[in-house]
This record gives sequence, C-alpha cells and structure tokens, in this order.
Amino acid sequence: MIQLGGSVAAVVLLVALAAWLGVARATPPLDAEAARALLAQEFPDHRPGAVWIAADGAGVIARADALALVLYRRGDGYVARDLPWAAVAALKPTNGRLTLRLADARPVLAVNDDVWPPKELA
Amino acid sequence: MLKAAFDPVQLAIPFFVVAIVLEILLGRFGKARANYEARDAAMSLSMGLGSNVAGLLLGGVIFAATVWVWHHRIFTIPMTAVWAWVVLFLLEDLTYYWFHRLAHERRIWWASHVNHHTSTHYNLTTALRQTWTGGVAGTWLLWLPLSFLGFPPAMVAIQKGISLVYQFWIHTEAIKRMPRWFEAVFNTPSHHRVHHARNARYLDANYAGILIIWDRMFGTFIPEVDEEPCRYGTVKNLGNFNLLYNVFHEWIGIGKDLAGSKSPREVLGYVFGPPGWSPDGSRDTSHTLKAKWRARTEAGEGISPQ
Repeated sequence: MIQLGGSVAAVVLLVALAAWLGVARATPPLDAEAARALLAQEFPDHRPGAVWIAADGAGVIARADALALVLYRRGDGYVARDLPWAAVAALKPTNGRLTLRLADARPVLAVNDDVWPPKELA
Repeated sequence: MLKAAFDPVQLAIPFFVVAIVLEILLGRFGKARANYEARDAAMSLSMGLGSNVAGLLLGGVIFAATVWVWHHRIFTIPMTAVWAWVVLFLLEDLTYYWFHRLAHERRIWWASHVNHHTSTHYNLTTALRQTWTGGVAGTWLLWLPLSFLGFPPAMVAIQKGISLVYQFWIHTEAIKRMPRWFEAVFNTPSHHRVHHARNARYLDANYAGILIIWDRMFGTFIPEVDEEPCRYGTVKNLGNFNLLYNVFHEWIGIGKDLAGSKSPREVLGYVFGPPGWSPDGSRDTSHTLKAKWRARTEAGEGISPQ
C-alpha cells in the first residue's frame, strides 16, 4: 500500500509538472488553408466540395457527397470522424453551440447566429 | 530459480521519473523536441500505474503456469552461466518480436495492446501507457516455451524486465538518430517512432523489443524518413480522454461485433482477424490502408513509396 501510495503521488506530481511546464503543440484557430490541409491528411480518399469552419476555429465540417467529414479539437490535436451528412444537417444548434453525437464523444462546435446548416454546406 | 531476486522494472522507476522530468524541462527550454499535453500524460501515467495493479490479479496464475512448465522442462539451464544469459537474451527478444507482431496483427491481442498506442504524443510517458488486460488476452503464454526449454522462471522474468526497461528510453522525440551502427542493430527512438506512427506508410512495422534485427530478418522494418514526419496515435484516434474507455474500447468493439455476427467464420474473423476486419471488407485494415496509400502515391499525390 505504501508503494501504491508513492506511485500515485509520483503520478500526480508528474502530471502537475506536465501541466505547468509541458510544451503542448500549438493549435491556433483553423483558417481555410489549415482546415483543407488537415482534411487532406485525415481523409485522403475524399474530396470535400465545401468546408465550414467553426466560429472559434476549433472544428471543421466538410461535405463530401453524402458524408460529413468532421474534425474537432481534442487536447492539442484534432480527432477525425465521418458521419452521414443527413444526420449532421438535421442537428439544431442552441446558444451558438452545435453538439455532435459520436460513439465516443460529444464535441461541441461554435456556430454563428445558430444558423445550421451554414450556407457553405447547404 | 523460481522467483526473481529483483525486478528490473521496479528498480528503474526512479530513473523513469527523473527522465520524464528531464524531458519536460528540455522541451520547455527548447533544448529538445518534447511535447506534453497534461491530460494525455495523465492517461499514460495512470495506465502505467493501473497496469501494475492489474498485473497482480492474474500474476499468481501466470507464475504457477510458468513453474509447472519449468518442472516439465527438457534441459536444466544454469542461471549462473554467461552463455545461458546470452542465449536467453536472444530468445526472449525473438519471443517479444512475435508477441508484439501478433499484438498488432490479430484483433484479440490488439484489444489488449491498443491502449499503448492511443496517445497522440510520443514522449517518455507514452512508454508507461501499458495494458491492463494482457493477462486476460493470454499473450504471456508465448513465453512458456522458454521455461519448457529449461530457463528458470526467475531468469525469464528478469530478462523480460530488462527488455521493458530498455524500451522506456526509445519513447522520445528528443533523440533524433543514434550512431549508424547502433541504428542497424538496436531498436532506437527513430525506429520506434515509426512503430507508433499512424501514417499509412508506417503501419505495422518495427515490432522489435531490443534488437531491430528481427524486423530486418522478417521483412517488417520501415525506416523513418524526414520527408514524412510521424503522426502518432491510432488510425482512428480516441475521441475522449476517458481512462476506462481507453482500456476497454476495443474489447467492447469485439463484443458488439460478435453480438451481430451471423456465422462461425464471422466470429473467427472478428476475434482472430486483423484489426479492422469485416465480413464484407467495408472497414479498413492496415493492409487496405497501405494499399490505398500506395495507389495514391503512384498516382502522384504523395511521397513516393520506398
């Protein structure tokens, strides 16, 4: 038990140190060029026709035929998922927030004026 | 002969802590490449801690099985002979190679190993992101032939520990390349970065523990190329920082697939097929991802294949 306690304390201290001094990757708000580059990297077999960037630049939804290609920020990186476009188009934002329902997460994307789907993707 | 007098991993823990602190500081002061994200590091370290606890649950069974096999051994190999340690070093490392290869290429063992690969970072805490379900997956069975040959269980345990400690320092971006002779023979940070990369060109490669020669011999070696930096994690990265989800998500995935399976062939495919196997081939495996990458590259879109 003493060893376990010591290990827990070491983990807590190391995490605190990583939070304080650790250098995370830079994830500035995505612009059109960065969003396209990220989409090309994560969905190399798709050719999205239209791209929408979240109001805070922390997420992207692109439309490739019947698919919505989704990128959202997790920590200092991005997670990629594809969903049926019809399901994404049917979502309703509230208070400027669009919540996606994925199998393993509920990412929230910032939407201007609660307009959904945006004109870029419609 | 039965129980190891010391555990190399336990002895190395203070070194692990000091090395992680040093890596964080080197990254902070721009002396080396080292990225840390607190939640990612927390998950890695918690996995390491939990792995020790989980190991206790089946540790007795594994130890008893190893001793039973050793009692039925072919030879009696002395623990004090230098030649025995040299032979064990090679055989244990070869065993590790095949364990590791199976752990990537067969889904039931991938379910246990995947959580070591879910970090999107590559730093020393990633080394500690160890499985909680290795005992259940039964990969320890692969080491039993060493005891059957006659290596004492304590000797095998010590060598396994040495291998694990060796593999700690290669989980870093702070070291770019080792001297050429070293890169030719040993597993290095460069070789192991490739192993942790999710770029299609790097998938299913560099399974080595200590010696990279096994990958070179069995055709699974891929060198790191500067034109394509490694991107870390799994093909489909985790969507959250939930520790338990990280531990069990692939097991849950297998369970869901089995619940929907329609034939014994599907059951076998979902359990023992490669990760991503599906009856109709609608999901991607490493093999299909690499094939698509090659096709794109040959069509002139990407970096040329090696």
